[in-house]
Amino acid sequence: MKRIIQRVAVLGAGVMGSRIACHFANIGVPVLLLDRPADAVPEMPDPAEQRNRLVNESLQAALRSKPSPLFTAKRSRFITTGNFSDDLPRIAECDWVIEAVVERAEVKSALYEQVERFRKPGTLISSNTSSIPIHLLAQGRSDDFQQHFCGTHFFNPPRYLRLLEIIPTPQTRADVVDFLMHYGDVFLGKETVRCKDTPAFIANRIGVYSVMHIFHLTEELGLTIDEVDFLTGPLIGRPKSATYRTADVIGLDTLANVARFVYASCPNDEARQRFVVPAWLDQLIGNQWLGDKSGQGFYRKEKQNGKTVYPSLDLPALQYSLKAKPAFATADAIRRAGNPGEALQCAVSGTDKAGEFYRRFFYGLFSYVSHRIPEISDELFWVDAAMNAGFGWQQGPFAAWDAIGLRRAVEGMQQEQYAPAPWVEDLLRQGHDSFYRWGNNAKQYYDVSVRSYRPVPGSESFLLLEDRSGHVVWRNSGCRLIDLGDGVVNLEWQTKMNTIGGEVLEGVNQAIALAERDFAGLVISNQGENFSAGANLALILMLAAEQDFDELERACRMFQQTSLRIRYSAVPVVIAPHQLTLGGGCEFTLHADAVVAAAETYMGLVEVGVGIIPAGGGTKELAVRAADAVEVGLPELPVLQRFFTLAAMGKVSTSALEAMEMGLLRQGVDRYCLNAKRLLAEAKHQVLELVRRGYTKPRPREDIRVPGRSVLAALFAGIEAMVFGRYASEHDRLIARKLAYVMCGGDLSVATPVSEQYLLDLEREAFLSLVTTRKSMERMQSILQTGKPLRN
Amino acid sequence: MQDAYLVAGLRTAIGKAKKGGFRNTRSDDLAVTVIQELVRQVPGLEPRQVDDVIVGTAVPEAEQGLQMARWIALRSLGIEVPGVTINRYCGSGLEAIALASAKISSGMADCIVAGGAESMSLVPTMGWKTAPNYSLADEHAEYFLGMGLTAEEVAREYHITREESDAFAFQSHQRALAAMAAGYFGEEIVPVQVQEVTVEKDRRIARHYVVSTDEGPRSDTSMEALSKLPPVFRQEGQVTAGNSSQTSDGAAFVVLLSDAMVKKLNVKPWARLLTCVSAGVHPRIMGMGPVEAVPRALQRAGLKLHDVGIIELNEAFACQALAVMRSLDLDPDRVNPNGGAVALGHPLGCTGAILTLKAIREARRRKERYALVTACIGGGQGIAGIYEVFS
Repeated sequence: MKRIIQRVAVLGAGVMGSRIACHFANIGVPVLLLDRPADAVPEMPDPAEQRNRLVNESLQAALRSKPSPLFTAKRSRFITTGNFSDDLPRIAECDWVIEAVVERAEVKSALYEQVERFRKPGTLISSNTSSIPIHLLAQGRSDDFQQHFCGTHFFNPPRYLRLLEIIPTPQTRADVVDFLMHYGDVFLGKETVRCKDTPAFIANRIGVYSVMHIFHLTEELGLTIDEVDFLTGPLIGRPKSATYRTADVIGLDTLANVARFVYASCPNDEARQRFVVPAWLDQLIGNQWLGDKSGQGFYRKEKQNGKTVYPSLDLPALQYSLKAKPAFATADAIRRAGNPGEALQCAVSGTDKAGEFYRRFFYGLFSYVSHRIPEISDELFWVDAAMNAGFGWQQGPFAAWDAIGLRRAVEGMQQEQYAPAPWVEDLLRQGHDSFYRWGNNAKQYYDVSVRSYRPVPGSESFLLLEDRSGHVVWRNSGCRLIDLGDGVVNLEWQTKMNTIGGEVLEGVNQAIALAERDFAGLVISNQGENFSAGANLALILMLAAEQDFDELERACRMFQQTSLRIRYSAVPVVIAPHQLTLGGGCEFTLHADAVVAAAETYMGLVEVGVGIIPAGGGTKELAVRAADAVEVGLPELPVLQRFFTLAAMGKVSTSALEAMEMGLLRQGVDRYCLNAKRLLAEAKHQVLELVRRGYTKPRPREDIRVPGRSVLAALFAGIEAMVFGRYASEHDRLIARKLAYVMCGGDLSVATPVSEQYLLDLEREAFLSLVTTRKSMERMQSILQTGKPLRN
Repeated sequence: MQDAYLVAGLRTAIGKAKKGGFRNTRSDDLAVTVIQELVRQVPGLEPRQVDDVIVGTAVPEAEQGLQMARWIALRSLGIEVPGVTINRYCGSGLEAIALASAKISSGMADCIVAGGAESMSLVPTMGWKTAPNYSLADEHAEYFLGMGLTAEEVAREYHITREESDAFAFQSHQRALAAMAAGYFGEEIVPVQVQEVTVEKDRRIARHYVVSTDEGPRSDTSMEALSKLPPVFRQEGQVTAGNSSQTSDGAAFVVLLSDAMVKKLNVKPWARLLTCVSAGVHPRIMGMGPVEAVPRALQRAGLKLHDVGIIELNEAFACQALAVMRSLDLDPDRVNPNGGAVALGHPLGCTGAILTLKAIREARRRKERYALVTACIGGGQGIAGIYEVFS
């Protein structure tokens, strides 16, 4: 059955409901957001407004929250509010009703009874519950309701957290489940994970096991909270907040409640004792030390000598103290490891206390997840996907197990008294030695039910560079050119913060040359944390400090020519940025034939923050875009001002959609993709699409109509107002005036058509005049040393 | 030389720009309404006897472009009556009256309608295409500071505190409200029949309503409310939306007649303009313009400050008005006794004519012989005109 979601109803406007509504608004689907009617308040004359007070206040609170649940403020127009008493009949117009009211079965049931009265047959209905069994919620409902009912468990905040658990009941129609899995992935951009209807589903079951397991290990091994967070953070590919900081964010009471819930609902769980809440945790909760929401938990924010510090709790004394940075030989070994797999091998072979911790932690976790198949999922890859998307684990438990070595880990487990599930022994007996493998050009997983390997579904849409590391066409110290198949190559770089230095410039030029020789087209993207933090500042500062103008000029020219090469190549070049795309990274992106950005792309020309102007073609490109946006005969100033402000204020988009509104992405040429995991495959597709349409190399521009001195004068006046208004410093004025000068094409008497090269020469000249000033160098130094911009 | 007399004057209510009753109404329409009624009020004056219409406006472009005075004259008085648009920014309304007076005095005309009209709702203060001279902006970008920042500069140089500004603003509202309650403005306001067409919920809505009351003064303002407003032009500055003049829409005109015409029509003169001068100051502190202009005007009129019973000083900003009052040692009781632009609003090019009406009417009420009208002007100027008022 074909389904189109033209309108969604979200019932319950709490923290989750209002933010889920916002995410549908993000993807352009009109949402009806309903909550209980509010009591009468005499000071509000409009009765409808009065009754919608709760839902409106709740939505406003969500809209004000940071980071914003909306891609851009304008998207709020997609949300209509109402209340259960007046507006439930309107769910008849909706194609999907999502319930996100308070976690009480009787409240949900009573609401469903109302929903049944108005819901059109065939309409999807789902619950965002995280703890109530889905099949219980379905009880007593009509057949049509039950067939279209499913659990859809979003994680907070729904815009940013990538996991969406889909939990069908035995009555849920197969096409409904398939639809939700696909829609959540492609339209909502989520990692959709199919779960069984078991307590806490997948992510929370494994996640809370992991946290509780670590809590107990902390005590058993006599580790400190700081040590554990050090060992369970980025060192092993987990988020910076690691274990205890994460617990503070979630709330200690919430965490303990889930643990108790699993304990009570899973009497046959072989590791049930791990869900017993330690006495000291109960004591903390008794003290109302619940984490961030009560101001203190495992950590407490304090001011000491004007500096903010976070002393941690001592167990079992329950006092806070600052501790020295933890140090373990095993940690040093992990850091030296060449890749994540090797790092985990180092972790479990350590001979110190950290090694002991890692062995017990990982082997316990491995044992636990192996016993959860087929209880919580028939397919093991869902567990990895859920932990990756929901808890930010770079490698899910089965992938980590593979990385350490399946057989080797099983041997280790036996020594530590952890037993893997029988099917793992069976797998080994069959002579296999991994959960995942490559076969027939696809990633395969071990399917427990059929005792053999099957392809991971959809993996052709989730191109992973790591999986294609056998297809490197060319490499240098910072870049790899990887063959993606079908005649498309991808250039990635893996420098610190993915900054752009000489090796990357070489890489881009080489990649284009090779693509022109042997391939249909090129994608520039990477799968690091950020696309690029910009040009390699340390290098620029070094040259500036030495006043090496020749080398600075050469470097700047090289950057500009590389940007031009991206635009003027004989094959299409598609850039696929994600997350931070700043400075030079943004400049490259501005020069792509087409951009396919992740929806979460934070793009901007932030060079003023380090005392310079964009000089890799970025300022030129702003001038080009401004010129193209001006109708001849109409005033240039408002358009110029808009583009000028982007760079002068160092504005960074808060989403790809906003980048489009700002003009950093082009309507109709560039686009964005909701699911970041599909980004590379989409970019590859875009290259092939450009080829199919008959790509020809664009002609360099010589018709850029720059406005000259009248507009420059007005911009100077505007800059002065910023200085007099104390929003800009004297040095800001100098930088802004140089920027304005380049963007207007200089002090030309009247508007005049110019070439790109003319603007690039102005851009480079302005860059060179700024980069060696003392204040600009101080700005660069500040960013390099503290990561914070200096306003001088 | 013959004398020129003001014999009648009217204005529209002062509308709040962008949200008030005139937000969708052009200023030439406002001017036509005022002038038609004004000429009717002078007994025996035929529209075609008007020799010229001088219209001051601060942004003569877009809806106020195409030499708008010509079209105002044509529509309100007839095809034979000419019109000229003039611009001295916030001094335009007074300048128009001064030009009319000078033309009549020199024998070039016998009857002129002069004043100003401005729609800040429809035409932006900086115009649609701002293009300052490059060499000037390159060397002296501070010449083109926005008015709010010039006020901050004045406050800093003349040591005006935020509290003083807020107190002045509060007093402006109180005085304006008292004047309205006493009915002081009723006679000078021509009710305007507004006709607007809008779309609401896909439906074309034609609305007709009458605007006849000044929209600016707020009875609900207080020192506390004013003190809470954030500065809008400078970080940690003192100029707020509450202690600045309001942006407004309006039109105001007077009729000036020669001696001969006064006798012929047998009307009673209100006042005559003794002198009107402008003077320049540094653009960065344009608000101090009156400090240069007022002494020069007094000197030309052969008067001393104490001879002047009523002073209408345009309140571009509370701090600016206070700095001018202190520098010239003006008696606060004589300055803006019925409130000023902070409360009533400041429709730029129209303001000089509004202040003229207020000054003459108050002088007549108080039986004062001399009234002074003065304003600061963007770009660094002041204007000051002195009226002899006949009670």
